[in-house]
Amino acid sequence: MASRPGMRDDARGLMADYLLIQALNGLTVGIIYAVIAAGLTVIFSILKIVNFAHGEFYMMGGYFSYFAIALFGIPPLLAVVAAMLVSFALSIVAERTLLTPLYSPTTERKGDYGILVTFGISIFLRNIALIIYGPYPLRPPSFFSGALIAGPLIMTWDRVFAGGAGILLLIALVWFMQRTPWGEALNAVSQSRESAAIVGIDDQRFYMLAFGLGGALAGGAGALVGPIYSLSPSMGLIPDTQAFAIVILGGMGSVSGSILAGLLIGVSESMFVALFPDPSRSLTYAQAFSLVILMIVLLVRPTGLFGRVHTSMD
Amino acid sequence: MRPLSWCGGVVLAAAMLSFPFIVNGYWLSVGVLAMFYAIVTASWALLAGYAGQFSFGHMAFVSLGAYTSGLLVKWFGIPVPLGIAAGVAMCAVVGSGVGFVGLRMRGPYLALFTVAFSEVLRIIFVSEVEITGGSGGLEVAPLFHTRSDMPAYYTGVVLLAASLAIMLALVASRWGLFFRAIRENEDAAAAAGVKVLRFRVLAFAIASAFAGLGGGFFGHYIGILTPDIGSVDQMGLVVAMAVIGGAESILAATLGALGLEFLVEALRSYGQWRLVLFGALLLLTMRFARNGLLALAWQQMQRLDRLRRMTRLAAGAGE
Repeated sequence: MASRPGMRDDARGLMADYLLIQALNGLTVGIIYAVIAAGLTVIFSILKIVNFAHGEFYMMGGYFSYFAIALFGIPPLLAVVAAMLVSFALSIVAERTLLTPLYSPTTERKGDYGILVTFGISIFLRNIALIIYGPYPLRPPSFFSGALIAGPLIMTWDRVFAGGAGILLLIALVWFMQRTPWGEALNAVSQSRESAAIVGIDDQRFYMLAFGLGGALAGGAGALVGPIYSLSPSMGLIPDTQAFAIVILGGMGSVSGSILAGLLIGVSESMFVALFPDPSRSLTYAQAFSLVILMIVLLVRPTGLFGRVHTSMD
Repeated sequence: MRPLSWCGGVVLAAAMLSFPFIVNGYWLSVGVLAMFYAIVTASWALLAGYAGQFSFGHMAFVSLGAYTSGLLVKWFGIPVPLGIAAGVAMCAVVGSGVGFVGLRMRGPYLALFTVAFSEVLRIIFVSEVEITGGSGGLEVAPLFHTRSDMPAYYTGVVLLAASLAIMLALVASRWGLFFRAIRENEDAAAAAGVKVLRFRVLAFAIASAFAGLGGGFFGHYIGILTPDIGSVDQMGLVVAMAVIGGAESILAATLGALGLEFLVEALRSYGQWRLVLFGALLLLTMRFARNGLLALAWQQMQRLDRLRRMTRLAAGAGE
């Protein structure tokens, strides 16, 4: 700029920087949303249920990581892995004890069963978390302290790390689903239970694997988010609906669609917060943002943005 | 078994009517709340159990009815019963709206949509502080200006009895048959000539109206309304009540609500553990006795009865 910038330009430049930082924040959050949504997608495509307790597995993962650090002194990075492993185990226990009627031919109206049981799991987990962890927010230690500063842009290392780790998780998931025999078997079961059984795939094992994998992804996301936001027993409610919105927007059962939709929702949400005219209400209405998106998507475009053929629920 | 259920009904009615004379003031107020939960749970059972539309937004209609009535009474000074009636009408209208836009959604999609609707409404009630008082609460005109809860209790009993009578009549009528036909198989019901769309919307509107009735009663009884009444946790409690009693029978769900509400208060010293217990009970019921604990108990009683009769028969043959 040749001439001396006036006040107005300064203000405009600050606003632009602010929006850019918000967009970057939204991008990292979007990646985390995508990880949660990818877990939901895996469960949905194999078990054919919408897991209403997914947000609670995300919450549990955050706490597992916190306690791995606080009680056992595990370094934060390993704690994420530990949280994923424990979430995996917890999910498998839930699946084996409560979800097996979904595979039995004698169960009537399996869809209803799936809705109510996972809703029950979410009530159970949320309230038991309230007892064990208390209602007060906890903040786990940072993965890396400090912030990345590049010119006008500032971003905490925790966010950078969460975004990076989220991308790694998503890549690992896509690789697992497409390049390993287990992933192929999962894919086979998702396409047809009967045909998979005919070629000798023990479908029970893969229901377990799918639910465990979904829980582990949710738990991992919770562990990554811990140092950015605080942990609280009710933290799963909003990401849960965000994940649903993403899954439906991205086209049911499509992992890559979920990733795109996750980024889209993450960025648009933080733009909404940044641009909402009334700051005293922007925080509460920010929570409603993804809910409204979910409602609109369900109403207007239940087949998702990318027009994939809809996988039927029932 | 018919006389037995009549006897049970008479005993229950007598217990409900004489309840205020047996218990102290604290338990009487629990009784009033139990009436509220029973109306809400019964109407949820009508919508989810009978008509097969899983709405997790039922408590949103409770809060909508309560806030509508509370605000109208506050602004225009209309009598409380008129306010409650307006809340019911509001819920019927919004409920048919939600039911209508939810027509293209089945099962889990509708559940998701209603969860989102419910949370958005709660967030609006929290955020619009100038109108609703936000989380601090909205002061609402009391139902009765008496110290005792006795009038409120009997009002609750009458409201519950009237609601149950209407819902049971509905369920026994052709409409009830249509609801169940749609629940079991929408396409087959449509093929058999059931106006699926009309009856899905109707079920939603009717159930929401009853939720609004419960909400209005609750709000004016409690005297202060907070958006928490429409929270997902409250919804969880109602779902637990319905499922543990038996969501596919309106009476069983009602009994579940009454029983659980008293259990909630009896176990008050256990604090948060109660909701964990109800969550676990909900899961166990779903897993092992899907028709609810009452249906299970009923079956066991019938089996015992049959067993007793058979042994008597065998003994008679042996002689």
